[in-house]
Amino acid sequence: MAKIKSINISGIRGVKDLLTLDINKKSILIYGDNGTGKSSLTDAFEWLFYDRIGHLSNEEIGRKGRDALRNIFVPGNEDGYIEIKFDNNKLDIKKSIDSSISASTSNISDEFNDFIAASQSENLILRYRDLVQFIIASKTEKLTKLQNIIGFSEVADVRSLLKKNAGRIARNIKSSNYDNQKNVKQSIILENLGRNAHSDEQLFEGANELIKPLKLGIEIKSREDIKKVLKKIETKEDNALLEQINFFTRMWEVLSEVVGNVDNIHESYKSYHTIGKELKKDPEKIKKLQLLALLKEGQSVLKNDVVQDNYCPLCQQEKSKVQLIQELNKRIEELEQLAEEKNKLDEQAEELEQLIQPNINMIDSLLREKLFKKDKYEKLKSQIAEVKKSLNSFLYELKKGLSVAFAEPGKIKIDKNEFYIIVKQSQDTAKILTENQSSNIKFQIYTKLSQAVTAYEEYQRIEKEQGILSRQQVTFEGLYADFIKRQEEALNVFLTMFSQDIDDYYTTMNPNERVEDIKLVPIKKDGDLVGITIECSFFDEAKTFPIAYLSESHLNCLGLSFFLASVKAFNKENEFFILDDIISSYDRSHRARFAKLLTEKFSDYQVILLTHEQEFFELVSSDVKNKGWSIKNFKWTKNSGAGVEKGTVKIKERILKKFKEKNIDGLGNDIRVYTEKVMKEVAFNIEAPVAFRYNALNEKRMAPELLNAVQSRISKKGNGLKEKANITRVKGMPMFIGNTTSHDNEFNESIEDLEVMWENIENMIRTFYCNSCRKFMSVKYFDNVESKIRCGCGNLTYDWEK
Amino acid sequence: MNKKIKSGKDVIDEFFSEILNIEDVDQKTVEKLVELYKENNLTDRKIQNALEELKQAELNSKARNDGKD
Repeated sequence: MAKIKSINISGIRGVKDLLTLDINKKSILIYGDNGTGKSSLTDAFEWLFYDRIGHLSNEEIGRKGRDALRNIFVPGNEDGYIEIKFDNNKLDIKKSIDSSISASTSNISDEFNDFIAASQSENLILRYRDLVQFIIASKTEKLTKLQNIIGFSEVADVRSLLKKNAGRIARNIKSSNYDNQKNVKQSIILENLGRNAHSDEQLFEGANELIKPLKLGIEIKSREDIKKVLKKIETKEDNALLEQINFFTRMWEVLSEVVGNVDNIHESYKSYHTIGKELKKDPEKIKKLQLLALLKEGQSVLKNDVVQDNYCPLCQQEKSKVQLIQELNKRIEELEQLAEEKNKLDEQAEELEQLIQPNINMIDSLLREKLFKKDKYEKLKSQIAEVKKSLNSFLYELKKGLSVAFAEPGKIKIDKNEFYIIVKQSQDTAKILTENQSSNIKFQIYTKLSQAVTAYEEYQRIEKEQGILSRQQVTFEGLYADFIKRQEEALNVFLTMFSQDIDDYYTTMNPNERVEDIKLVPIKKDGDLVGITIECSFFDEAKTFPIAYLSESHLNCLGLSFFLASVKAFNKENEFFILDDIISSYDRSHRARFAKLLTEKFSDYQVILLTHEQEFFELVSSDVKNKGWSIKNFKWTKNSGAGVEKGTVKIKERILKKFKEKNIDGLGNDIRVYTEKVMKEVAFNIEAPVAFRYNALNEKRMAPELLNAVQSRISKKGNGLKEKANITRVKGMPMFIGNTTSHDNEFNESIEDLEVMWENIENMIRTFYCNSCRKFMSVKYFDNVESKIRCGCGNLTYDWEK
Repeated sequence: MNKKIKSGKDVIDEFFSEILNIEDVDQKTVEKLVELYKENNLTDRKIQNALEELKQAELNSKARNDGKD
């Protein structure tokens, strides 16, 4: 699996001049304020691996975000590029983009192309904006997303194809009503042969009986024999009569078939009416269905980060984006259920149309018969046209919108009795015409035999077709049943094991909480897999993941757990991944455990961890450094764009600069971090006792703990020092009462508030720190004779009990 | 974990390699489906066309046989 040795980026997004990271397969923690180019690194990676930048791909920035990829200050004759050297140098790549936004790559080997192709399904980048997408997605979206990640979307496609074809064949069989067709043919055979014929033997027996009076001396033993007999007894002089007989026989045949379909049509319309009536119960809901497309568009706008901040893009009101997406998902899910009901109605309409249309076609074809042009058949023609009209009245109902009432099933129907009259008339007329020629026995037998043979051949064709389609139906139903079994087995294995990892990572970040045994559970409806939900044991009770009760920080933990489990399960080519600013909404305890999770459970991986959170950076940098990670700061300058900052961050300088610029962004946090650093020194120098902690944890002392320890120490030892330092006032400041980075801290500081706080803190620090000798007051300068504690030069001196 | 998990491709490949062992399936239909899958042509339209071709071929072949009687 590939790890990265070095990264060079130039002329891409916020990076103008060359930015180099020699990380030599190690993990790296990169700190940089917003706008210092961290995301440029992520964007460049995304472009290299996926040839697009998802969050820049919108209508305004075309070509999969490439139009916004090149740094605009790069001279026209220079390319923007990202160059990565891997531990396997055959994968080394430099991908460039010139001023015409054309891309080129240095490595065109098959090995590299295969590597990139295989990387497409791997989880390499997680941005903050994508963190909770899976968690808050609807159950259907969860299934789709998961199937995409695990390569099951093709499985879903095959499953859908098998189901679709099984359904289509079943519908064809139903609408063809083969049994009805066969009955009609048997009626004709019976009428002409005096018996039914389901087999050749039965046909030959009937035919031999029929031709007996002719005494031809031929015994029919094959179809060929029948042809010979028909040729032998064929008469030319009665063509007109034969035409009439065929005309009425055809009318009898067509109308018999139509009448045989009437019950199916009535039944199907009844189902259509029932579904439609249920849907129409709530007309307001139906109207809302029109909003579905709009809501989905809104969902896509939010997910694609077209709107960056926490407000609703429609009403412009302030609102948490995550909450907004959740609400949209809920409304979309409700409307999708309604849309599903509407789909059922549409499917029923399709089935009904499929039943009716072939009958209309048969009648149309019948009405085109030559003999219908004769006046004497005008009445018959109009009677048949009436039948067609009643069939069309069903189709008319299907075209009505949901806002108009459908005709009740009893009010719209085809009168079978009237129908039977025409059918009977046709049958009788054909019979009379045939048998009236009693003087010409040869003609009668010829007509009957040819009608019977034609009907028998059609009967056989229908039966064969029915057999073929039934076999196809059984085949597809069998394949579908087998396939869903395989899919569900494979999915369950995956979900069980995948859930174990998610649970492990989540509980590592959230120990001793009452959310346990997290698992992804498939949801089925009518035997079909329709979604996936997240379940867990919440206060010892199994339930759907209680998203509503959890903080954003917890949701993010779950999103991150999902991503990390995906990395372990599916990344086969790349042994690195990028986490871009994902800890923004994590509270302090989650941040520390998150770092622990990465260093302990992903120590084999190369992690590229980007953050703009100074506090987080301060908190974990010593930890991860001990584990062999590189640490870098990004800065941005007007001339060079993004780059790596040299030297450490000087917090006090930054605080003073922010005061000067009246910039309160993160200032409270900076003051807290600075106070923590200073109070560690004070506590060390006056030997203020704090609770025992192991190794690196010892460094993680929060300001309130240190302030308490120092205050307690000087109360016991220092005379007057407690009043002078006035630690109580500092401890009452909002940034030390709660946790400024916690989502539930409601303190909104102004620059004036912060100025007062800073002054108090500086006063407190001046009590312990000498600006002349630049040393802290310390017990190592304790004056045993006078029982005083002082700084290095003696400018700061206080009474101190032995 | 990875060893036990089947990818989507594994599931589909296994299905098509064992498809003829499934009970009560029509051999010609199944062979046609395997052929379409191997040729990367397993689409709804192609399946519909293939089923229609199989139907017509069988109807015509039986019709020819009937004519020989």
